[in-house]
This record gives sequence, structure tokens and C-alpha cells, in this order.
Amino acid sequence: MTAAIDVTGLTKRFGGVQALDDVSFSAQPGQVLGIIGVNGAGKTTLMNCVCGIYKPDQGTILIDGHDVTGRTPHEVAHRGIGRTFQIPRVFRKMSLVDNLLVPVLAQRRPDRELLAQAEAMLEQMNLLALRHNFAEELSGGQQKLLEMARMLMPDPRVVMLDEPFAGVHPQLCRFMIERIEAMSAAGKTVLLISHDLTSIYRLSHRVIAMNQGRIIAEGDVAAIKGNPAVIEAYLGH
Amino acid sequence: MSEALPASASADRAHGERIYRRLAIVLGLLVTGYFVTVPLLGLNLAFHFYMMLWITMATAFNISSGFSGYMPFGYVAFYGVGAFTTAILVKKAGFAVLAALPLAGVAGVLLSLLMAPTLRLSGIYFAIVSLSLAGICRLTIANLPEEITGGSFGIQLGSRAAPVHAFYVMMAVMLLALASVLWLSRSRLGKALRAVRDDAEAADMMGVNVGWVRLQGWMMAAFFPALCGGLEAWYTNVVDTETAFNTLITAKTVIYAVAGGLGTVTGPIVGAIAMSWLDELVWRRFPLINLLILGVAVMMLVLFLPRGIVGTILRARPQWRRFIP
Amino acid sequence: MSGLIFNGLVNGVIVGALYALLGLSLSLLYGVLRVVNFAHGELVIAGSFVAYLLFHSLGLPPLLALPVAAVGFFLVGWGAYYVLIPRLARSDDPESMSFLLMYGFSIALAAAMLLLFGADSRSIDYSFDPISVPIGPVNVSTARLVALGVTVLITLAMGAFLFRTLPGKALRAAAMNREAIQIVGVNIVRLSALAFALAFGLAGVTGVLIALVFPAFSPFSGGEYSIIGFIVIVLGGLGNPVGALIAGVFFGVAEQMATVFLPQALAQIVGFAILVATVLVRPTGLFGFRALR
Repeated sequence: MTAAIDVTGLTKRFGGVQALDDVSFSAQPGQVLGIIGVNGAGKTTLMNCVCGIYKPDQGTILIDGHDVTGRTPHEVAHRGIGRTFQIPRVFRKMSLVDNLLVPVLAQRRPDRELLAQAEAMLEQMNLLALRHNFAEELSGGQQKLLEMARMLMPDPRVVMLDEPFAGVHPQLCRFMIERIEAMSAAGKTVLLISHDLTSIYRLSHRVIAMNQGRIIAEGDVAAIKGNPAVIEAYLGH
Repeated sequence: MSEALPASASADRAHGERIYRRLAIVLGLLVTGYFVTVPLLGLNLAFHFYMMLWITMATAFNISSGFSGYMPFGYVAFYGVGAFTTAILVKKAGFAVLAALPLAGVAGVLLSLLMAPTLRLSGIYFAIVSLSLAGICRLTIANLPEEITGGSFGIQLGSRAAPVHAFYVMMAVMLLALASVLWLSRSRLGKALRAVRDDAEAADMMGVNVGWVRLQGWMMAAFFPALCGGLEAWYTNVVDTETAFNTLITAKTVIYAVAGGLGTVTGPIVGAIAMSWLDELVWRRFPLINLLILGVAVMMLVLFLPRGIVGTILRARPQWRRFIP
Repeated sequence: MSGLIFNGLVNGVIVGALYALLGLSLSLLYGVLRVVNFAHGELVIAGSFVAYLLFHSLGLPPLLALPVAAVGFFLVGWGAYYVLIPRLARSDDPESMSFLLMYGFSIALAAAMLLLFGADSRSIDYSFDPISVPIGPVNVSTARLVALGVTVLITLAMGAFLFRTLPGKALRAAAMNREAIQIVGVNIVRLSALAFALAFGLAGVTGVLIALVFPAFSPFSGGEYSIIGFIVIVLGGLGNPVGALIAGVFFGVAEQMATVFLPQALAQIVGFAILVATVLVRPTGLFGFRALR
């Protein structure tokens, strides 16, 4: 079976900083891949390379077997990848419904179908009552949910979540965890960056640990928990 | 506690649609009805012609600024190019005015394509470059051979002046502009434009082809001022670089649009009408300080009513947003 | 022919120095406040009119008008800051709103000058003794040389202020990082007011000098100088005062040399073309920061 996402030898430099150094991994449909590491380890840079914001200096990125290396972000998006951001990037002066419609504007389905789907998604996230409000009027946690819903609209095969639990209260965390489990059960591949190790260990099938642009450890949760290199990277600096 | 299940959400949606549609029709009828009767009742033709002109200009500017997030301070370039294209085609190439006008519009669009590389610039750079490009247009036209552009005397369109005809064509163009913006505000292109305006990089990652979307908005915004330039040339019967590229044209467009409120369809209409009246009243009473009042009015607007009339109302009543076009 | 070229060079440096001043003021304001002063040209012309008034009604020579303009405009700028800017910072879209505010200000100012002085071109009939000084193969007007000298002095003074004094360093720091400077405890409001007032003061002074260097001015001349100012700061990099100085001289020389070789009409376009080309090819200018959306 083709890996949902297959990254090989990804390398990226910014001036004097080696942000990514020969990063390789792959993930299957339905798998949750946790990505951990201290700040500056290269996790977000990795996501930015995958979705096309940065062009990697070296390496290839395959989504469902298609080479998306160096493609523009919207081309990569159409290959079936979605993401959320550490600090929510909702479309502030657009309604919640409109926010959700943006990723599916190019689809040939009729308007009322897309609207119905958007409304259903908002309902799932308990945001339906606010659907006509501007996104900037939502709280931080609500904006994260909005982002998640927006990401899921085009039914992407691969989803990347950058610190979804950061600054979110526990009840909402539990809700998000349920959503992520649902995504995985639906066959999506989930790349999950988080500092919340409890959630990572609970959700992930496999985990990669990064430090200074390199993968320092890779394996299932049990293997990572006891890995001396990982412990040193988190505590040593 | 969310009571609205998807089923009743769609009923609610249909209800909202009906109200919106009705308001849009009422708006269209009001506007058309009012202006149609102007020549019939012998009201001030010039005043209303220019009111329609400014409504069109402010509306088209709104496409560029309200919807797309650009402030083209050189907006007059399209107007001037449209005016000269019309004049040259009519006077030098013998076109009928009605045939020349659409071509003037096309000239505006072509100019916008030439300027397309500037669309990736951020706010300040874009504003400054836009101003410079307008300067280049004006100087280039002013320095073309006299046989083509009439040198410092400009071009007279000759005996083809027909104010009432021009009036009605202006009305048609205005309605076209309003219809376009109404369509844009509901269409997928409109949503894409606004997403790009709010966060271009995020929109890119959501699958929006940022460059192409921006270009479409830009071309739309360039078409109408070019038509306006041509129409005014027809109405006044004369075109020269001083009046066709006058910076006051951009100034008034921007002010009228901001006064009404960017980002809505009704905003520029309200702004253009209100400011036209203000201009008329002030000009009658204080012809000399007209310009000063305009400048001060802008500053007052920015300081005290930055969202414009309609924008401020919608801020206070956000639930009206889905009904007010 | 070489006389013409030399003449072009000399004039280029003189004019360029003035352009550098134009750019310095804009750069300061943008760097600290992120405000693009669309009214800069009109402010400068207001300075010229002040010099004109002082000369024709009080007989005050332009050199003495300089400090009057400097102080007067500085105070006006200080007041204007508190009236205009704080509201702006609280709005939805401060950047666009600041454009519009200064745009309106430029219209109002030009209109005010039009009302007060009429539309005719003015000039100051002040001549130094001797009227011109031979430099190499050409005669250069003394007035222009004096203006150059004053410009250099002002630039050095500004340089000393920006690099040697505490408020000056604070201004430069603010231009580099507005958030950080507030964390360190600097009163950003007073600093911003200082920047605004300085920018106005510089504009006034530039206006007096322009009256000395250029043959005539009118209330309509403002727009032209605004655009030159923009070209200079874009070339030098927005928010970079040193860049603005270098770019100003460079642009002045380029412009004057263009008039030597090209017909007048084309030479005018050269300025615009340089701006557009720079922004598209190297948007950060010679030394600047982010330019793309």
C-alpha cells in the first residue's frame, strides 16, 4: 500500500541556520504520527516545507505517491493535505461559514451542498449558532476549532496539526482528542506536533523526535518514552 | 446550547437568501427609478450624471480595496486611459462613441494586466508604486505626438455630444458596476478575494490560487473607471491630460468609498450620494474652500468614522450583515 | 560637452542632498510610526512659503528663516501628533487609515496654501554676494552652494542626534523593533511624538532650502516632492535613515544626469521608472526590509 505521506532526505537552510537536516519518514493511512521536540527543533519548518510555503534545498515529498516537492501551496493543498497553525490563522473579517467554504471553493459541487456541509461541520464543533459572526469575534479556543473544521472541509487524506492543544482549556482538549481519533478512524493520516506529551502518547501510533533539524529517534510510543537521546534533548539544554 | 440542527439551518439560510434578494431588488429599483426620472423631470442633469459617475467609481474602487485589500492611489490611471482611448477612437479613427466605450474598458483592463506584477507588493509599496505608475501614464500620454493625443490642448470629440444619451449610458454602466459587485459579494471569487485579503498565505494553503484570484479582482476594478473616463469625455466633449489624470479623481473616489464604508455594496453608494450632496451644497455656498473642506472631511472621516457610514451601522448591528448587500 | 556633464554632476549632488533630506524625514516617520507621510511634499512647500513670507514681509533672509521654520514646524508637529495619531492606533486597519489620514492632510494643506497665497508660482528674490562661484569649468549659484552646506550640516547634526544621543538612539531602536522598545520601558508615545515633530521640523527646513535651490514653487508643487521622497525611501529601504541619505544623493545625480542626456519629457519619466523598477526587482531597496505581501 502506498504511504499516504513519504518524506525523504528533506533539508532546509536559512542563512546560517540548518533548520532541517536530512529528515525522512513516512506514514500510512489512518496512522497518527506524533512529532515532538524542543522549540526550534524544526517541527514547524517541516510542516511548512510539506505544504509548500518553503522550498526545500534537498529531498522529496510524496503525497499518495505524487511528488509535491517545491510545488506552490495551493497545488499541494489540492493533492489532499490540510493543516492548522500554532497561532490560529482564520480569515478574520469573514463569517465562520465563509471561512469553511474557502478550501472548497474550487470544487465542482453546487453551492447548497457546500453550505450544508459547512453547517454540518460547524454543528459538530458547536459553533453553528455563531455561523454569521466574523471569525475575529471568536475566542482563541473557538478559532482553533474553526481551523480544524476548515481543514477538514475538503476531506484531506493527510492532515497536519501544529500544536492544537496550546493554550486550550482541558475540556476543549478532550473534545479535540476525540476529533483527532475520529480522523484517524476515518483513514486519514495525522501528523501531530505538540508539547503535550500526554496527548501525544495517547493518540500516536508512532512518534518521531526532532532536535536541531534532525530526527533523533523514531518508533512507537513505548520506544520513544524510554529513549535516552530524547530524554537528553528535552532535559539537557 | 446549539438549537439549530442542519435541517433548520438550511431553512434559516433560505430565509436569509429571500430577504437579501428582496433588498437587492429594492435597491436596484430605487436607484434606477430615481435616476431614470432625472432627465424626464428636468432636474439638474450634470449633478446627477456626476453622482452616478462617482457611485460607479467608488463601487469599482471598493472591489480593489474593500474586497481585495489594495489601495491604488494611482487609480486615476485607468480613468485617464479610458478617456483618451475613447477620444482617440472617436475623433481620430471615426468610431461611434458606443463602439469606442467598450474598447476603452478593454484598454483599462490591459493596463491593469501591465501593472499585475505590482500586486504582490505590500500596502505601502503598492500605494507608492501605484501613484508612480499613474504619473508615468500621464507623462507618456502627454508626450505622445500631437497628432494622436492633441498635445496640451487635448482632444475635442466634436459634434457628437449628446448629454442625455451619455446620461443614460452612464446609468447603464453604473447598474452594471453595482450588479457586478453584488455578484462578487456572493460569489466564490468574492470569497476567495476576501480570504486572500485577510491572509494570503493561509488562503494559498487552503487551495486558493492567490495570484490568479488577485488578478481577476484587479481587472474588474480597472474596467469600470476606464468606462467612466470615456463616458465623461463623451459628456463634456473634451479630453486633456490635466483633467483626465487629475489626482482629485482618485481623491474623490477614495473619499466617497471610505465615507460609505469599504467592503459592502451599499457603502460606496451611500458614500457617493452623501458626499455628492455635501460637495454640491458646499460648492454653492463656499466655492473657494471646497478643496479644503474635502481634505478636512477625509481627516474627520478617518478619525471619527473610519468604517464609513454603512460600516459603522453594521458594526453596531452585526446580524444585519447577511441581509445588507 | 564635459562642461554640461560636470554641471549635471554638481547640480546632482546639490539637488541630491535635498532629496536626501526629504527621504530622511519620511524614513524617520515610517521607521518609528509606520506612517507614510503622504503630506510630506505639501509640508515642505509650506516651509517654502514660510520662508517667502518672512522674507517679503519682514525682510528676513532665508538663512535666518531656517531656525524659525525648524522650531515652528517642530512645535506644530508635536501638537499634530497628539491630535491625529493616538486615535489611529486604535482603529481596525491602522496602516490604510494612516494613508488616508495623511492623504486628506495633504489635500487640506495644499488647499490652505492655495487660499492663502493663490495659485501663482512664487520665488524668493534673495541673492548672495557674489551671485555665483566658479567651480571648475562651471559657475554654480552661491545660493545653491549655501543650501548644500546647510544640508550637510543638518545631516551631520541629525546623524549626531541619532547615533550619539539617548533619544536619538531610542528612535533608531524603535525603528528596528517597536515591541521590544516598549518592553524595555521606553515611553513609545512620547518617542513617537518626537519622531513626528522631528519629521515636521525637517520638512519645514527642507522647504526653506528648496526655495533657495529651485527657481520657483507653488501650492501644487507638493505632490512632486512627495513622490521624490517616496522614490528615495524605497531606493534606500523603508525605515532606514542612512539608506535614505545615500539613495537621495544617488537619485539626485541620476535625475540631473538624465536631463543632460534626455529630452525634458523623458527625464521626468526616468524618476518614476526607477522607482517602479526598484520595487519590482529589489523591493527592499539598497538596504531595506520586507516589501512583499
